[in-house]
Parts: sequence; structure tokens; C-alpha cells
Amino acid sequence: MTEYIVKDKLTFLRALASSGYNLIAPISMKNKIQMAPTDPDKVDLDYLNTFLSPKSLFFPQTEKMMAFHKDLTKSDAFVYKPLGLDQVKPSVIFGLRPCDAKGLSVIDKIFQNNRFTDPYWNTKYEPSVKIGLACLNPGPNCFCTAVGGSPFGEIGLDAITLVRGNGFGLKTLSAKGEEFLKNTSGLEIGDLTGEIADLKKKVEASLPLPLDLSKVQGATILSIFNQPHWKTTADRCLNCGTCTFVCPTCHCFDIQDEQDEEGGVRIRNWDTCMSWLYTVHGTGHNPRPTKTERMRQRFMHKIKYIPMKQDGTCGCIGCGRCVQLCPVNIDIREVAKQMNQG
Amino acid sequence: MMSLEEISQKIQASAKRLLTEGKVEVVIGYRRGSIPMMAAPHFARTEDDCNQLIWTSFARTNLAGYLSKFSGKVAIVAKGCDARSVVGQVVENQILRENLYIIGVGCLGMVDTELIQAKEPRLYREVTEDITTIKLFGADWNTNIVKEEVLRRNCKTCLSRTPKETADELIGDEVQPLPNDNWADLKALATKSPQDKLVYFKNLIQGCLRCYACRQACPLCYCPVCFVDETQPQWLGKSNDEMDTLTFHILRAFHCSGRCTSCGSCEAACPMDIKLREFNRILEEEVQKEWNYVPGLSWEQKPPLTTYRPDDEADFIK
Repeated sequence: MTEYIVKDKLTFLRALASSGYNLIAPISMKNKIQMAPTDPDKVDLDYLNTFLSPKSLFFPQTEKMMAFHKDLTKSDAFVYKPLGLDQVKPSVIFGLRPCDAKGLSVIDKIFQNNRFTDPYWNTKYEPSVKIGLACLNPGPNCFCTAVGGSPFGEIGLDAITLVRGNGFGLKTLSAKGEEFLKNTSGLEIGDLTGEIADLKKKVEASLPLPLDLSKVQGATILSIFNQPHWKTTADRCLNCGTCTFVCPTCHCFDIQDEQDEEGGVRIRNWDTCMSWLYTVHGTGHNPRPTKTERMRQRFMHKIKYIPMKQDGTCGCIGCGRCVQLCPVNIDIREVAKQMNQG
Repeated sequence: MMSLEEISQKIQASAKRLLTEGKVEVVIGYRRGSIPMMAAPHFARTEDDCNQLIWTSFARTNLAGYLSKFSGKVAIVAKGCDARSVVGQVVENQILRENLYIIGVGCLGMVDTELIQAKEPRLYREVTEDITTIKLFGADWNTNIVKEEVLRRNCKTCLSRTPKETADELIGDEVQPLPNDNWADLKALATKSPQDKLVYFKNLIQGCLRCYACRQACPLCYCPVCFVDETQPQWLGKSNDEMDTLTFHILRAFHCSGRCTSCGSCEAACPMDIKLREFNRILEEEVQKEWNYVPGLSWEQKPPLTTYRPDDEADFIK
């Protein structure tokens, strides 16, 4: 892996934008910082994190999967044809926070694994180059270090940068990142090893200590499932689903068919386990009949099921979005502690 | 002026008394949140629970919606708008008056954390408050912000800051409304053409995630199945299609017309900061003008749009 010095931020961003890739980076939209396609000149690097998670770049809130038309003069009338799977210009995403990059890699293992590949995710995620921006000044609700992450975390990234004067320090992390950056102008080979190690240590020290989840790991699903604290916490849960929509690792969806006079589309929309409708069966039976079961599902998924399936990686990456935005202050750290206490 | 600590202590004392005397099984209020600028809804059943009850201007969610989840006798800590929502729950037969005890608190208004962060964008580590001021502490700095300058919009125009008409007991000073013209900005909207109004409302809902946090946080939205969740037939598309999303918001506003107490719970819950009350306020004004009705001030009077009489003087109904 190579370490580079980038002298000037804007020159570098312009080089990324002229690399034959679409530049996606943090910009200010309606007073909120969001990841979006942008001109290099509009990139805003003074941000704690993007307001919503970057998952929508690869898994949008609403995505058209297939379409058909009703023109009976043509032989393919009423035949669904896939949409959005053609090879498109790939993206270079600059400014991902390490927590979010790790979150994307959690979803990636769900959408692409040895059993199946989701082509809608794969088409966008796979060719994109992901360049992270290390956190030198984490926010009051950040807790990546509590759940196995780091403000300098490297998971899910092809390269990581850190702000350094008017430029960046840059380290490539994958063959894809190496290949992409070796032709980028304005980079000088440098040595950042000591500097990164020092800063990493310093910033990590300002963040919370790891949560003790040892008992959750050892316990059976059923024993955690039946713990008494679920009811007490769910008492105040509104089942509003804000936590799931802003979460970088929540990935559940609902598929809907819509049509008008001329044709129809198959769409997938973000869905939420907080919703009654999410699990109700055609018979009317609902296996998660009250808000307690629905809220429990989300925390079990993050803190028990995902670690079981992904070699211990926690499904929560500590970005703090749900903690900040929950209208009734249900804090995943407190729930995790209760799960571990039994 | 009574301090936040004094108000909190009085709430705690009142809660303990009600529980000890067996008047209620639970007291619904707020406790300190796990992060700065956040309060958590709190259900006090024991003395220890009661000691956690606080009064704060970071209370985001209207507690009235929790009442119908309890079958026994319940006390609720309520500021003016919340008390009106509580009355609404009784008037609309969601809860029984005899099972209810309202601990009313004179309210100087809740603060808008977005406005605070606009005034002080630096990263805070800790935030404290007293009755008139928010204090932010950073790594090597601190700032005082006057609460009155960062009030939630609905709190600036609130006409019922003290629930004196309906509370079973009152804590804190009686608070007078701020001088305001609640409907001033609606006049400009009313003069717009239908096309321009549509553009205005489409802009308003930009970014809506269809998460329905507004509905879930609203004490008026107690339907067992919301019209957007019905599947046989399915009334509304589920995508982020502009018209589907707008239909949800407009229909919800119509369902709430003449019932909304401008508590701002919907706006506080919205993760995308959509100014949802714009929809409700227009209808709130209409109902007030047409029937001289303000929801939640009387235990007897029903919201005008939920009643009918065979001898109604309006022709269209016959």
C-alpha cells in the first residue's frame, strides 16, 4: 500500500472529477451535508458526518427495478424488463467517514455473498472507488470505538485521507485504490506511518471505550430474546422507524408494483421493521404483533444476528445518527448494555 | 421566576404523592436524556423513578399519545399544548377523564436544537440549561444562548402556555403568551395561485423519507391502521413519488384539522426537518375562523369536523 502527500485539496478533488469517474462528495443541501454527485468546487469538507448515511448511493430510498409497457402492437407488451443494470460510469466517492464505510461493507455482505448477489447493489457498489476521510474531531454522539471501529478505520475503503494543512495525507488500502490513484495528478509519495499512528491514538483516546458485549456473544438467541428489559424500553418507543431510515446498516425493503395507462414499474422502497405492516401476513397474523417485538428485532439484528453471521462484526457502527434523531431517546448503547447484563 | 430545579422538584413531589396515595399507577413525564439536548419520556412507578422526573426545554415529544396504552389510572406532566392534546384524547373517547390526572406546568417554550446549532456551530461536549438560558460547553470554550431566541416556531405563537383551564394541579408560574400574529405568514400563502401553492407544498416535503415519524409522534394519529398502511385496497403508493408523498401529508393534515394543538411533536420527530405544521396551521386557522373553535380547551365540546346534527344549518350536509 502506498502513502501519498496531497498538497492542495481542490487540485486533488478536480483530479478525481476528471478521472473518468463521477465525483460524489459531501455538499450542503438544504442546510444539511449530504453525499451527492458534485463539482469539485462545491465540496464541503467542514463536516462532522453526512446527515443521512451514504447507503442511498447504492441502495436508494426508492429504486425502479423493472418496467413494462402496455402497447399491444408490440410483442413485449406486459413483459417486465430490468432497469438500472447497465454498465454506468463508475463513481469515486470522496469523504466517506470510516464508520459509514464499515456500514456499507456490512450491507455489502448481505447483498453479495456466496449464496446470491443483488445486481442492483452490485452494479453500483462494486466498481466505485471509496476514499475515506479520517475523523480528527469526532462529535459528541460518535461512538465508533465502542463497537469495534476507529476514526481511522479502513474497512470498506479503497483509500483513506486525513486533512493535513491545505491538503491531505493519503494512504491506499486496496488494489483498486492503488490502481485508481497511481494515475491521479498532484500526488507525491510520502511517509505517513508515524503521523497516522500518533493521530489515531490521540483521536481514539477522545472516544468511548469498547462496549462489553461478551455475554451477548455467548448467550443463546432465545435467552436474549426473553430478557425483561425489552418491554420497559419499548414502552416509550413510538415505532416511528427514524432509527432504521438513518442507519447505515439497515437495509430492509419492500417491493411494490405500480402501473398507469401506459405501463408499470416494479419498485423497491426502504422499509422498516418498526412498522406493523412490515411483518403482517396475508392471513392477518402478525408474528411481531406489538411494538416490543418490533423494537427488539432491530437491536437483536444489530447486536446479535449480524455479529453471528459476519464473524463478530457488530451491526452497529457507532455513527450516532439514531441516538441523535430518536424522538424518545432510545439509545442503542444503553440497550446493548442491558442485553449484555441479561 | 421559578427555576427548572424547583419545577422538577415539585413534579417529583407531586408524582410521589399521587403514587403513594394510590391515585394513579404511573406518572408519565420526562427524564434526562442519554445525550446533550435530549429528554426521554419517562414512566414513573416507584420513588426512584419519581426522582428522575425533570422539567426541561428539550422535551421533543408530546406525551399525550402514550395515555391510551395504559388501562389504569395515569398522571401526566403536561405543558399547555400537551394538556390540550390530553383533553382531545378524552373528548375523542380514547381515554376516560376519571382515569386521568394532569400535572400542568407553565411553559416558557421548548427550544429548537437546529436553531441552537445554527447560532453555535462548534462541536459541544456538554449542554446545560436554566430557566432562561442554554449553556454550551466545548473543548475550550463556552457560550450562553437565550432560550427566547431559539424557541420552536410553534412555541413562539403559543396562546395556551399554561394549562390552567384543564390541569388538575398547576406547577410553576403562569406564563403569558408572547406578542405574536400566529397567522401572518399564512396570508401570503392564501394569495398564491393554486399552481403556486402546489409548488410551495411540493418544496415543503422535499426530502421526505416516508418514515411516518410525524404520524407516530402525533397524539392525534391513533388509528389502528393508518390509510397509508392499508393494503386492501392500497390507497397510496409507497415510493418517494412526489404526489404520493404529498397526498399522505395533506390527508393526514385533513384528518387532524380542528384537532391539532400545534404541539410541534411531528416537526420535532421529523428526521428531515420538514415544516409539517404548515399543513396543519392552514386548517387550524380555517376551523378557528369558521367555528370559533380552539381544540383542547373544553372537556365537552367536540371538534367541529367530527360532529353532525340532523338540523345542521349548512345546506351542503343535507
